[in-house]
Amino acid sequence: MSQHRRQFRGGVEGSAIAAAAAVCSNDDETGAKIISKKIMNLLRELCEHIKGSGQDELRRSKDILKLHHKFASPNLYTPSPLVPSTVQYVAHAAQYISKSPNAFENLPVLSEQECLQKIMDTLNSKAHTQDAQKPGDLFYKVYKRLSDEQIDTRKRQNLLNFLLCIADGDSAPVLSSSRAPAGTCSVRGAVTEERPSTESLQKEFNTRYHSLSSCNVPGILVQTQLAKLALKSNGLNNNLILNANSNTSINTNNSQLSTFTTNGNMPPEINGKGPGGQIYSYDASQAGMGLSKQGVPNYMEVLKKQKDFEAEHDLAQNAVFAFIGIQGRYLKKDVISGRFKLNPLHQKALTASQSSMLLRLAELGYYYDRVVQFANTATGYNAMGCMGQSLISKLNDELTLFHGKVARLQDEMNQFRAVQMRDYISRDKTWLNRRRDDITLVRLMGWYGVHLKRMQWLSKIADACQMRKGGELASVVYDFLGHGGDEVDVVAVEVLAAICKPLVRMISNWMLEGNIDDTYGEFFVESLPEVGADRLWHDKFRLRHNMLPKFFSLDIADKILKTGKSINFLREICEMQELVKGREKLKEIMENNAADIFSYAQDTRWHAAMETCYQQTSKHVLDMMVGPHKLLDHLHGMRRYLLLGQGDFVGILIENMKEELEKKGSEIYSHDLSAMLDAALRCTNAQYDDPEVLNHLDIVVKTPYPGDCGWDVISLQYTVQGPLATMLEPTMSTYKILFKPLWRMKHMEFLLSMKIWKEQMGNAKALRSMKGEIAKASYGLHLFTSEIMHFVHQMQYYVLFEVIECNWVDLQKQMQKATALDDILDAHEKFLRTITVGCFIKTMTDMERNLEMVYGNIISLENWQSHFYEECFKELHAREVHAKRIADSERAGRFGVTAEQQMDRDQGYKNFQQKVNSACRNLETIASSYEKAVRGFLLALNSSNDPNLQLFGTRLDFNEYYKKRDTSLSVPLTFEHMRMSVASTTRGYKTLPPKSAQAQSETQSQSNKHLIVD
Amino acid sequence: MPSEIITLQLGQCGNQIGFEFWKRLCQEHGISPSGVLEDFATDTNDRKDVFFYQADDDHYIPRAVLLDLEPRVINTIMGSAYSKLYNPENVYLSKHGGGAGNNWASGYSQGDKLQEEIFDILDREADGSDSLEGFVLCHSIAGGTGSGMGSFIMERLADRYPKKLIQTYSVFPNQDEISDVVVQPYNSMLTLRRLTTAADSVVVLDNTALNRIAADRLHIPNPTFTQINTLVSTIMSVSTTTLRYPSYMNNNLIGLTAPLIPTPQLHFLMTGYTPLTGDPDINSHQHTVNVRKTTVLDVMRRLLQPKNMMVSTGLDKTNHHCYISILNIIQGEVDPTQVHKSLQRIRERKLAQFIPWGPTSIQVALSRSSPYIQSNSRVSGLMLANHTSICSLFERALNQYDKLRKRGAFLDQFRREDIFKDDLSELDESRDVVDCLVQEYEAATRMDYLQFTAKRHTKTYGAGDNKSEESKSTENLPV
Repeated sequence: MSQHRRQFRGGVEGSAIAAAAAVCSNDDETGAKIISKKIMNLLRELCEHIKGSGQDELRRSKDILKLHHKFASPNLYTPSPLVPSTVQYVAHAAQYISKSPNAFENLPVLSEQECLQKIMDTLNSKAHTQDAQKPGDLFYKVYKRLSDEQIDTRKRQNLLNFLLCIADGDSAPVLSSSRAPAGTCSVRGAVTEERPSTESLQKEFNTRYHSLSSCNVPGILVQTQLAKLALKSNGLNNNLILNANSNTSINTNNSQLSTFTTNGNMPPEINGKGPGGQIYSYDASQAGMGLSKQGVPNYMEVLKKQKDFEAEHDLAQNAVFAFIGIQGRYLKKDVISGRFKLNPLHQKALTASQSSMLLRLAELGYYYDRVVQFANTATGYNAMGCMGQSLISKLNDELTLFHGKVARLQDEMNQFRAVQMRDYISRDKTWLNRRRDDITLVRLMGWYGVHLKRMQWLSKIADACQMRKGGELASVVYDFLGHGGDEVDVVAVEVLAAICKPLVRMISNWMLEGNIDDTYGEFFVESLPEVGADRLWHDKFRLRHNMLPKFFSLDIADKILKTGKSINFLREICEMQELVKGREKLKEIMENNAADIFSYAQDTRWHAAMETCYQQTSKHVLDMMVGPHKLLDHLHGMRRYLLLGQGDFVGILIENMKEELEKKGSEIYSHDLSAMLDAALRCTNAQYDDPEVLNHLDIVVKTPYPGDCGWDVISLQYTVQGPLATMLEPTMSTYKILFKPLWRMKHMEFLLSMKIWKEQMGNAKALRSMKGEIAKASYGLHLFTSEIMHFVHQMQYYVLFEVIECNWVDLQKQMQKATALDDILDAHEKFLRTITVGCFIKTMTDMERNLEMVYGNIISLENWQSHFYEECFKELHAREVHAKRIADSERAGRFGVTAEQQMDRDQGYKNFQQKVNSACRNLETIASSYEKAVRGFLLALNSSNDPNLQLFGTRLDFNEYYKKRDTSLSVPLTFEHMRMSVASTTRGYKTLPPKSAQAQSETQSQSNKHLIVD
Repeated sequence: MPSEIITLQLGQCGNQIGFEFWKRLCQEHGISPSGVLEDFATDTNDRKDVFFYQADDDHYIPRAVLLDLEPRVINTIMGSAYSKLYNPENVYLSKHGGGAGNNWASGYSQGDKLQEEIFDILDREADGSDSLEGFVLCHSIAGGTGSGMGSFIMERLADRYPKKLIQTYSVFPNQDEISDVVVQPYNSMLTLRRLTTAADSVVVLDNTALNRIAADRLHIPNPTFTQINTLVSTIMSVSTTTLRYPSYMNNNLIGLTAPLIPTPQLHFLMTGYTPLTGDPDINSHQHTVNVRKTTVLDVMRRLLQPKNMMVSTGLDKTNHHCYISILNIIQGEVDPTQVHKSLQRIRERKLAQFIPWGPTSIQVALSRSSPYIQSNSRVSGLMLANHTSICSLFERALNQYDKLRKRGAFLDQFRREDIFKDDLSELDESRDVVDCLVQEYEAATRMDYLQFTAKRHTKTYGAGDNKSEESKSTENLPV
């Protein structure tokens, strides 16, 4: 009988109401019709009898409320739980169960009579002795009335079962409060899972029932087992404590456990509320009846069952231990791989399915071990730096969570044991707890899948992160985002968000404060401590490209770099505070949205804040530089003075300094020059320029090399200080390099026009009387001069106008458009680069060399000319003396000069003629060397790939003077020819062999040759 | 102040074009007729000090010296609104006021007599400048004062300031109408000699061409002197813009002229200007000026057309004349890239013929223009060119001279002056010099320019006295 009861309780999982449902569910008609009002009334009466009435009502109905609450679907729930009507619940229950009529059809139920008997027993047993009428009898009367009604017997039977359940539930008042929900839960599970699963549950129940019933007898055995369990759970706890990191505490464990107990599917009997006493007292009242009805157990069978059960339990326990990396009886770790394998000693005891399940479950333990390894800083397998630390802490968090879950499993097992022990002590009442499952391997299989995946990916990520730090670390984790699997995505995002927290903080610190707090070198911006403040803008900070996370484009990284750089610049160089408006807010946004920085679409709040910060700061710097520091004015000033844009100033400066420039380099002192510079500034249009710009202009004398004259050592310089120096310092060397050829060009122009040409014009008048004799030399000189003049002027025009001026116009346009300081600086640098090439500096071609030869020839021409005119004037003077002598003698009446004097004169004249002739030859030498240089230069220009240079080449030979004189120039002179020859060569070589192509025009073959040379 | 230029205005014509020139400069620089800077003239990018200097009361005074032997023109100037502009000490009027009577010899001798006083003024001006660059002379070659006294002053200047540039704006007489000055051919010849020998650069302003341009292109049937002189002042002012609005190149007179003049003799420059829409001053009643497209290429191409030349050269039948050098001063909104595209086009189409004996090209100077004067056209350009065909002008002068000289007409008034007291060799010498010049220009069209001149002059060794005879004999051969 007791077994039957147990069976019923276990089978229906305490769901008497379910049985009641079954009562109403046999017919095809709906529950509402079947359960007539009368029957409902009767039922209500029955229930009232069972439950009693009056003050107890409230408490009891609360119990039922709970029962109902779990049981009924939410829409049936009455909104006023304080005044619950038992009947309502019953009605609801009946209706509800009618909807799933055949839920427990196959379950064994007590017969109607038995139920009635039991209910009456229960009611009578707890009735107060003083009562006139026993409640059981009252119940019976009502029951009689019910049985008079036209109800199917089976329904009635089921209803009684249901009522019995209520009565039983009532009879253990303390336990019921916690037990009832558990039971209903199971029912709910059963209802929703429908029949197949209920069947499996049924099976499970049966096996458990048998094993449990066997443990009734050997009390000592149960005791030791419990002790063992306790020990193990202690060990588990220790283990947890050991494995958990500092931030994991038992408290959190406990809290997790407690939260679990409230919503989990296991009842929390054991959490020390001391139901034990009541159970015992309750047991005592029931003991006699239960025991007396029990038959003599079959000890052998019981022992065997006990053993089987132990084995099964042990397997599960092994698996659970393996989850957290603990070896057990069946599972041992492989020494080398660290994977779990079956213990060969006990392998035979396992069935194939068991062992395979064990092995599969143990895999989780392997990954757990891996993660533990990566989370342990002592192993050295972990990631480094702050971001590494956050990875480790993230892993530890994950482990803690996992521990919690395992602990819950373990807890369930322990509870099961505890219940078993109680069963042994109070056999009769154990059916109440029997509804719970023990942990089996199969259940574990269902449990472990999710965790295995997570552990696997965690260990995979952690493995990839080994020995990495900073942006690299982030990049590695970021790669996992591309995996595609949802779980992986979730894990990777979580990990990455954790990792990026320090990075985000570093970025916000950098962008808002300009500080780099980067002990481990993880940040993708680095500051070079050895670089001084004067190079702050260009060299002090730079990107660490290997630390740049993949999810940052270079563009963003650049913006971040520039923002921090700007802040540093403003603070250190411009000595400004209060740099970013709304800094606190930006900081908050930037630091609290760590996960934004790796979002695919770069339109998150973080990005917006970053952009705002960048815009604001760069605008600030730009305003600062363009406004108070007059960057544009200074650039303009440099263009005008260093790049000789202010033609009148340069002219006057040279004019002022011409004596100094002719001197030897060692005899020049810069203090003399600065006065001249001031004079030149004062008397040209430069005087209207901003004095601040002019103050920066300086004239310097370089250390002369032997043979240097003033032209070589004197140069203009622009000295910049403060913020400007930081900005412009790197370009100053370029300006120095650029100044030299420009200055040299001015030197040549000065030589040619102010000296050579002017002298020629003046001396032509003075030497008119001897024009005839020197004509050959002087015409050669004039024409040669005009040739050089043409070259130098075209050259100057090209460099000053086409190269510098045109690019300057571009630069100015860009400066107008600039939104950030670096736009200006970049444009400026580009400008300098372009004109460096345009001025034939460092082109590594013949051009530079030929140009220098041209210049050399100009200087030698100047020397030649002064020498030539010197001779001419000497001769002129001699002639004048001679003529005067003749005139004197005429006046003296002697009429004539002595023969000696005449001979001297003749000799002098002859010498002069020789000198003129040799001068002519010298001039020709210079001219031919000049022409060679010019031809070389032209050839280099024409064969260059730059169309501008080609055009310059054609301009230098505008009237095709050189082309006519030199056939090698004729071919590539025009761009047209060049293009045609390129086309023809490619075609010619393909179709015709070179020798048979003789019919082709000569120009083409020449062009071929030329191209081959190229 | 730097690279200063002193302007000398000689004679009736010189003073008239000078007057227009200063008027124009004042407008461009925003200087009021009284020399005070106008309120709107806030732009400091111009250099006023090349042509002006500032007195103590900050008002601008032109570096100009006004010389005349008769008071009429100068009195007109001093009676105009601009009277306060000039430094009165720089205005010199001959005391007897009789003028030179369109006689070169008279002007020359009076120059000789007045040189002390004139050079007092000039020296003072020269001393007052920091680094004097040169002198600019405005005169005509046909009259008496401008030609005669101008010639004398040019010679003296060349002696006295051998290192300074002497540039002249010389007005050549109108060949189309019969002049009332009968001795004009003599005057021209004598002045031409000085222009050849004493000046460094001569900008030829041919009245013939100027009148034709006024009539044909500006549609003014009978242009007045003022209208012609406005044209002249435009040329004068534009040719000095690079000096007054400095930029990266061509900021001084020498730098401007040196590339144009290859040999000391070949220093006669033609000018051309486009678009000739005419100032409101010229044709305020005229509205039918056709609107043209003005791009850099158009401007440069039109500048090469002979009809836009301010010099009327004879028809070049043999088509052998060529450009020795060209400088284009372009003003207005110019896209830098257009410049070398235009040059390329001109080169490809061979729009200009150049000398064969040396490299040359069209130089381009982009110049800013005054912000105070609104130009009708987007782009405008002035060409300063050294062209061999200018010798036809001299040939014409030679022919006219020869006609007169053969008959020995009108020589009496010359003989009265000192320089012609003994003989008329001065006239013949001048003719030789000019003839030489013509030949040199002719030679410059040929490849063997270098050899030709050399050959020609090796023969003429000897003392100064023989030279003229010998050169006469050589020169007679081709005639």
